[in-house]
Amino acid sequence: MKQKNQTIKFTIATLVLIAIVAVFLYVYNRNTTPPQEGDKEITVQVIIPEEELKEYTISTDATTLREALEEEGMIKGEGTGVSFYITEVNGRLANSANEEWWSITKDGEFSDLGVGSINIQDKEKYELTLMIGW
Amino acid sequence: MKLQTKDIAAIGLMSALLITLQVGFSFLPNIELVSILIILFTIFIGWKTLYVIYIFVLVEGLIYGIHKWWICYLYVWTILMLITMLFKHSKSPFLWAIISGTFGLSFGLLCTIPDYFIGGMPLAISTFINGIPFDIIHGASNYIIALILFKPLYTFFNWIDQKNYI
Repeated sequence: MKQKNQTIKFTIATLVLIAIVAVFLYVYNRNTTPPQEGDKEITVQVIIPEEELKEYTISTDATTLREALEEEGMIKGEGTGVSFYITEVNGRLANSANEEWWSITKDGEFSDLGVGSINIQDKEKYELTLMIGW
Repeated sequence: MKLQTKDIAAIGLMSALLITLQVGFSFLPNIELVSILIILFTIFIGWKTLYVIYIFVLVEGLIYGIHKWWICYLYVWTILMLITMLFKHSKSPFLWAIISGTFGLSFGLLCTIPDYFIGGMPLAISTFINGIPFDIIHGASNYIIALILFKPLYTFFNWIDQKNYI
């Protein structure tokens, strides 16, 4: 009887875990825009404190922001897949010793995804900002 | 927590095992044996696992550099150890699969705490959402690994324990 109760408990706990996975997948899919094929034009601003803002208009066939920026030779980074993150923009390295890091925003709003997961759409505007302080 | 010579030797070996297996499995995204080993170490050496955890964290920082994830490492493995302390007398692979799976699934969420202090709630949320595919892999692999490996590893560590090596 005790054994049976334990099995039921663990089965329920496993089902709860599966339900959490389903919720996670829903949240992830809701925040991911589908890739857009073909030519697109996006605007990218590079913002470094106490330096003049630079704006670039990029025409590209790339589907992700990472691909578009790498085509232009604008960024370098570390990590693979969705864990890729930007370490350098236009040759400006974010110095982790000074707690510097590159943030990605879209129209001023923090992106819900990393640069490798952001599917770009025509006429979108992104900002790459060198942030200081963790 | 007074340490004897054999404790120091055991802690050194356990730390080396964690580091070796982490580096060895690092080519697989978020599939790791660190969680199941920390669970087992906690079962057998209790609070002394803190030494193993922080040697592991220190060496990881020396190998890969001090990044945002490293700050998360400072507390996330200790959380797993504390949860394990609550259930340390259980020998059920199912219970450990659920604990290890839940830990893997919530790993990304736990690691958003530094993001909250860096960029506030928007950055914390974006980091969490971005990491969801990895959290799912982490949770599922931790669940399966604990389910399969808990019993044989427990038997192995129990054999070492009975020989009075740890």
